[in-house]
Amino acid sequence: MYKKLNNLGFVIGVFFTIIALILIIGGLVSKALDHKLNFYTGFTFLVFGILMAFLNKNNL
Amino acid sequence: MNLHIADYLIICTYFLFVIGVGFIIKKRIKTSNDFLTSGRNIPLWITSLAFISANLGAQEVLGMVASGAKYGIMTVHFYWVGAIFAMIFLGVFMMPFYYGSRARSVPEFLKLRFDEKTRGLNAVSFAVMTIFSSGISLYALAKLLEVILHWDFDVSIWVAASVVMIYTFLGGLTSAVYNEVLQFFLIVLGLSPLVIVALHDAGGWSNIKTLLQPEMTHAWKYMGNAGSNPMGINFMSLIFGLGFVMSFGYWCTDFLVVQRAMMAKNMNAAQRTPIIAAIPKMFMPLIVVLPGVIAIALLQPALASKGFSIPSDGKGGLDYTMTLPSLISHYYPTGLLGVGITALIASFMSGMAGNVTAFNSVFTFDIYQSYFIKNKSDRHYLIVGKIVTVAGILLSIITAYIAKGFNNINDFLQLVFSFVNGPLFATFLLGMFWKRTTGHGAFFGLLAGTIAAAATHGLTLAEGKGGWIYPLYEIHSGMGQAFIVASVSWIVNFCTTIIVSLFTKPKPEAELKGLVYSLTVKPSYHQDKWYLRVVPLSLILIAITIILNIIFF
Repeated sequence: MYKKLNNLGFVIGVFFTIIALILIIGGLVSKALDHKLNFYTGFTFLVFGILMAFLNKNNL
Repeated sequence: MNLHIADYLIICTYFLFVIGVGFIIKKRIKTSNDFLTSGRNIPLWITSLAFISANLGAQEVLGMVASGAKYGIMTVHFYWVGAIFAMIFLGVFMMPFYYGSRARSVPEFLKLRFDEKTRGLNAVSFAVMTIFSSGISLYALAKLLEVILHWDFDVSIWVAASVVMIYTFLGGLTSAVYNEVLQFFLIVLGLSPLVIVALHDAGGWSNIKTLLQPEMTHAWKYMGNAGSNPMGINFMSLIFGLGFVMSFGYWCTDFLVVQRAMMAKNMNAAQRTPIIAAIPKMFMPLIVVLPGVIAIALLQPALASKGFSIPSDGKGGLDYTMTLPSLISHYYPTGLLGVGITALIASFMSGMAGNVTAFNSVFTFDIYQSYFIKNKSDRHYLIVGKIVTVAGILLSIITAYIAKGFNNINDFLQLVFSFVNGPLFATFLLGMFWKRTTGHGAFFGLLAGTIAAAATHGLTLAEGKGGWIYPLYEIHSGMGQAFIVASVSWIVNFCTTIIVSLFTKPKPEAELKGLVYSLTVKPSYHQDKWYLRVVPLSLILIAITIILNIIFF
């Protein structure tokens, strides 16, 4: 796991995945976040985050 | 603007990640070079994104959106006339000298090429400028958060400064650079939805063109006469003042950005860093200029039903600096609002960390090690570098409070910076391409250029500023005045350096190998594929830049 944390692409990917989950799950459970712009952005961040985290082979 | 718990959660997640990066990098910091120069061991994609991210501070993000609103699409000249060509020039012609000389900083390069006094002048002025820039960035962040979120000014200052201090203290330049890459993606991806939604709301680019005055949506068409465009300058002033003097001066000589390319693993990567960086840079106007133009379109009577507004500046005009926060507040719902605010905070912190890390390298190597304590162990300089990082942050905080107390100090400092930076590129250009240039020529050329910049500002008046010697000549806009001041200072420096050099003794050619174009073996990449070579990439970028200029002519 520590080796993965040394990969900047992985760190950035995890960051955007967490932000995406806050936007998507928040939108599902909270009325305040229930906005289609949050969902669209959340899904875009999720795709970007997963791609960065798991397809980036270029280590630090 | 009120934040929800989800918005705070996003901001806290960001803070945790940037500090976490500092802790991860800390384990790899063993020497002063690891801490202050990253040991020249950073992959190309990171150096390239850090290269433009170091410039993606508050002034860039808020300032370019504000300029987009004030001057329209002409603001793209900062990118398509200024930055791109300068970045290509840096990659093709100047990086071989910076990287090949093994200098650890731009002032150190000046010492190798010229002499100690030229290095000292550049190092001291650069160190002072970076601290003031960092402090002003901090002040602007706290002020913005106070105005739009009603956060306490002192708390904002100390929290933002503490976060930057933790990750730069732990991981030095590497940590700052890695966070700059994270900040780059956050700024681009965090502000992209805003552009899409606002553009859609304004009826698309074709509708914006019908709503606004034509000079707001054409980059070149109204540049023939200074009086017929909102920037108040003609195309000659623009090309020489912005495109050549200011842009080349900044992108090719400012250690803050050049330092990112100097961290690359090898010469080829160092040369390609600014060239690869030019690709996203070319499209940055979509994120930082277009929103300003859209905002002005949304204020037109035909779109009054959208309910968008920009606060007044209290003098009957618009407070253009508030354009981006106003758009974020208007379009972003809870959740995405947290992303937008975090992107703004990231831009301020990116600018501050960039300045602090450049400051600690220059102070430690070019001032402390050169003038105070020489020949100590590497561990000694590592500790000094860390102490200087903390001192740099504390000085930035003091500067932020000074800026709070004196309303005009920001303008004054920006002005002084332009006096110092304006002529610098002439020194480098002559130094690298004319072996006859001497240390005395460079030093007195820089002094004369700086004095000429101050005198030009004192003799010209624009938007009520300048003319403090005598208002001899009036210029339409402050930006036009900045271009003219920079142009005059460059010409005076260029001529003075040549004249003084002709009357003083140059360095022997043997000492100039690797520092002057005609005495340096050029790196050859003929065996590499075309997309790994500097020149083909540069030609493609130049062609795309010309096409973009034609599209928005």
